[in-house]
Amino acid sequence: MEAREKVRETLINLLKLKPSEVQDDAKLCDGVGVDSTEMVEFVIALEKAFCIKFSPKEITKFCSVNDIEKIIQPKLSSLAAK
Amino acid sequence: MNKIAVTGIGIVAPSGIGKRPFWANIKAGRNFIKEIIRFDASLYPSRIAGQIDDLDAYTHVSERLLKKIDAFSHMTLIASEMAMRDAGIDIQKEDPNLVGIFLGNAIGGWLYAETELRDLYREGREGVSPYMASAWFPAAPQGQVSIYYGIKGFSKTIVADRASSLMALGYARKTLSKDKLNLILAGGMEAPVTPYALLCCNTYGCLSKNNGNPQSAYRPFDKKRDGFVIGEGAGIITMENVERAKARKANIQAVISGYGTTCDGIDRIGPATDGKELSRAIRMSLDDAKVNSRDIDYISLDGLACDDWDNGEVGAIKEVFGNYAKDIPVSCPKSMFGNLLGASGAVDVIIAILAMEHNLVPPTTNLDTPAVNGLNYAAGSPIERKINKALVISRGRGGINSALVIEKP
Repeated sequence: MEAREKVRETLINLLKLKPSEVQDDAKLCDGVGVDSTEMVEFVIALEKAFCIKFSPKEITKFCSVNDIEKIIQPKLSSLAAK
Repeated sequence: MNKIAVTGIGIVAPSGIGKRPFWANIKAGRNFIKEIIRFDASLYPSRIAGQIDDLDAYTHVSERLLKKIDAFSHMTLIASEMAMRDAGIDIQKEDPNLVGIFLGNAIGGWLYAETELRDLYREGREGVSPYMASAWFPAAPQGQVSIYYGIKGFSKTIVADRASSLMALGYARKTLSKDKLNLILAGGMEAPVTPYALLCCNTYGCLSKNNGNPQSAYRPFDKKRDGFVIGEGAGIITMENVERAKARKANIQAVISGYGTTCDGIDRIGPATDGKELSRAIRMSLDDAKVNSRDIDYISLDGLACDDWDNGEVGAIKEVFGNYAKDIPVSCPKSMFGNLLGASGAVDVIIAILAMEHNLVPPTTNLDTPAVNGLNYAAGSPIERKINKALVISRGRGGINSALVIEKP
């Protein structure tokens, strides 16, 4: 499964959303209505799902599924290179 | 102080969800205490309880929210929705700054808490849900109701053991009397049927160990009593000033007219056996209501089914009501569904309101031979009786006494 789809699926499963509610470019806070605690839970779930860690600065850039994918891709490439 | 109208009732209890099925079961004297099987309770000295198994069938709460809250918040949200519907209140049309929430709880949301604590020790800090911080504590249901409905007025959660929710109703009345708010959702909630909460209740030491006979285990005031049985649920009422309720043509189901509370100051757990401070709380409530003791038509008893507690309660009633004590019907209907701890007082008030509506004194089940005579115990089956004024007694560990007077509108 490609990273973007995995991010999307993690969010849908975590918040019990309908797939149609999460578009790749939808704003997580204003569009999907993710609150601060849900964001914490989402970050933890992503870290587990991808076996990676995010810095606080990276988390502030979690605006949409597309944005998250952009942050995750380099981490996954670096993992693969190891 | 003003009389305050009760205009809506929401009840989530082992005896029924919604006031009609709940009252039908209470009236019929049906017992809902059963063995705990939702987790392995086989090693607990007391392993029976009043339980709600079909909560999900009644919920309006999304799965997204359900995973963030404990069962006691879930029950409160359902009971709040029912109460507002019963009262004909559209919360969106209310001024959110003038709506409050006054709730009572004794032990918090332990199913959520203990599950997450288990994960903390198994998986470390990252195994703990971020919702833990906002899910377990006694004021969590108040917060959830506030968020769900956008309620922003002065609100409070009272933690006073089993007296919590009656006390919440007392404070709600005081607040409305001062015209600080238009509307209050008041009541209590408790979800003690979890491994750790049950352990705490067992450690307390007043629980019935009659596990082989769940339906006859809780025997308030009976000679063969051996303690109380816990139960889970929530009871919420809508309270508003009588003038406002009349102006919006609401169905005023009862008015709350008096409240009194005292402390025994004797022991960290047990009550004073002489019941003197309880009688003072009862007198305070009658004086507050400007009601003569002879005008009370029904007394809803606390009924812990332990010698010290029951005998002190009987003594207090005899002290206040004198010769009339043997005539007033008294009962403890929670023998049918368990003691809902912090929610028990609010649920007793709901039963008393329904009893007034139907002119029927609900029975105490399992009361075959009173341990102490001298009261007019309604036992076994209901008694037809016109009830215009009722007294509700609720007490908590450490000798917290509270009493509330309600009247027909």
